[in-house]
Amino acid sequence: MKSALFILPFALVPFFANDFWLVQIFGRALILGVIALSLTFLAAYLGVVSFAQATMAGVSGYTVAYFGPNSVDVGRELPFYVVLPLAIIMATLSGVIIGLIARRSQGIYAIMITLAVGVAFFYFTRQNYTYFNGWTGFSGIRAPEIAGTNLRDPLPFYLLIISVAMLCLMLVNGFIKSPLGLTIQAVRDAPKRVLAIGIPTTPVIVSAYAIAGFIAGSGGILNVWYQERISSFSVGLGPIVDILVIAVIGGLKHPIGAFIGALAFVLLDTFAVDFIDRERFNTLIGLVLLAIIMGAPDGLHGLAKSWLARFKKRVAENQV
Amino acid sequence: MPISHDHKTANALEIQGVGRRFGGFWAVKDVSLSVRPGERRAVLGPNGAGKTTLFNVLTGDLVASAGTIRMDGADVTQTPMHKRIKGGLRRTYQHAHLFDGLTIRETLFLAVSGVAGGWQRFLPLKPNDDAIGKAENLAGMAGLSSDLDREVANLSHGQRRQLEIGMALAETPKMLLLDEPAAGLSPSERPRLAELLLSLPKDITIVLIEHDMDIALRTSDSVSVLHNGRLLAEGSPENIMSNEAVHNVYMGGAHGH
Repeated sequence: MKSALFILPFALVPFFANDFWLVQIFGRALILGVIALSLTFLAAYLGVVSFAQATMAGVSGYTVAYFGPNSVDVGRELPFYVVLPLAIIMATLSGVIIGLIARRSQGIYAIMITLAVGVAFFYFTRQNYTYFNGWTGFSGIRAPEIAGTNLRDPLPFYLLIISVAMLCLMLVNGFIKSPLGLTIQAVRDAPKRVLAIGIPTTPVIVSAYAIAGFIAGSGGILNVWYQERISSFSVGLGPIVDILVIAVIGGLKHPIGAFIGALAFVLLDTFAVDFIDRERFNTLIGLVLLAIIMGAPDGLHGLAKSWLARFKKRVAENQV
Repeated sequence: MPISHDHKTANALEIQGVGRRFGGFWAVKDVSLSVRPGERRAVLGPNGAGKTTLFNVLTGDLVASAGTIRMDGADVTQTPMHKRIKGGLRRTYQHAHLFDGLTIRETLFLAVSGVAGGWQRFLPLKPNDDAIGKAENLAGMAGLSSDLDREVANLSHGQRRQLEIGMALAETPKMLLLDEPAAGLSPSERPRLAELLLSLPKDITIVLIEHDMDIALRTSDSVSVLHNGRLLAEGSPENIMSNEAVHNVYMGGAHGH
């Protein structure tokens, strides 16, 4: 649970930040962090790097768009208390399906197979007009008003985002100490040995992907409310790679790496235009990624951890 | 020549004409064995004789290319490994494959709940969980009680072997297949392993691959010798020690001690 405390400082943001910083910077960072957490969870505990997080998030986003209020003439409006669980269930199911497809894959093969699923979903959303409204997608998607609180207002929306981020981190931290969470880590370390203690590996791997789908789906709902639109571009190669870049920059070995990476990414994405052309952003993020991979393979989280360890050692030495 | 047993109950292990082929090469060919319930059987043979391949076929790590495998009278030739384990079979590996990111307690907990059920639960574990208690008992049996919260990645080679055996003893197995449990142990650790094996309940059937002849012969009441993937000889330890064919292929024509 300790790492869920990492989110707490974000709760102080409303006291000093204006709406721009609240939603565009910290809110967006936490949303992307939740989606990247889904990837970090699979990487850290199942040992698989997946490219399907934007797809899982897209499934819940499209569910909210189709069954919620939107400004295109596609879909069927249902009450939000039906739509939200439905979106989460759909995203979890998408995790199950992706898990079933990728269950025998590791390393580069898992990357390729999840990327293939992601790209197939991108083309499907682009070509299907009945449910996905093709190229145009959905716009005018609005977060609901619950008990007199309008979730479109910056502060309530930010508080919702921070709660979801905190809950997802607590879910991961608690889950990895559960019997199923331990089994997932056992599959990461020695899959054959898991069979040799009487546990079939397929349901274990599929459950890990289902949890990843649940987390990415939660982020996907927030993302579609933040963007107020969703189209095939929201689930294309760009977002797929962005999530991976965020997770790698933050560090794939620990859940909070996702949030650190997301904050760094959003700050760069927002403010880099002050220094470089918009078209050069990919060059900049590519260089940052390269520097991280070469200088800090465990990402910013790993870097901070090693600095902290060095600092503690120095303090201990000085005391002696 | 296979040993014949005159008793009414089914053999703990009965294999007929078992073989395993890799491409055109038969690593194990036409091996037939019968092991009585509670018997302690050593499988000996020089490197490359097919001992570990035979174990892999028996546990379901590898699918048999030929023959049938019966455990307690039931045909398990096509049964997946995890189901054989639930049926009472356990094994250790020559090279310890362990869950390096978990602690000893967590590893033994999984070994218990893999057989008894309960690994599917997704709420955090409570310290008073039944399976945790059993895991701590297993750690005691394997001599690891003082290191319960240590991460497996940080264990010594000897401790890893002890943990392997602790995992294999979860939920009282019917049959244990031990693949070179003494490999890599120091001379001072070996007698302890022999004691542990001798102290196991007598109704557990044990099949043991071991290069340490002292441990193999001390802990076994019968021996099967493999050579080039085939069964060369079978009998009591005394018979095997005086078998000329065994001397020629396994001990190079001379007694090794």
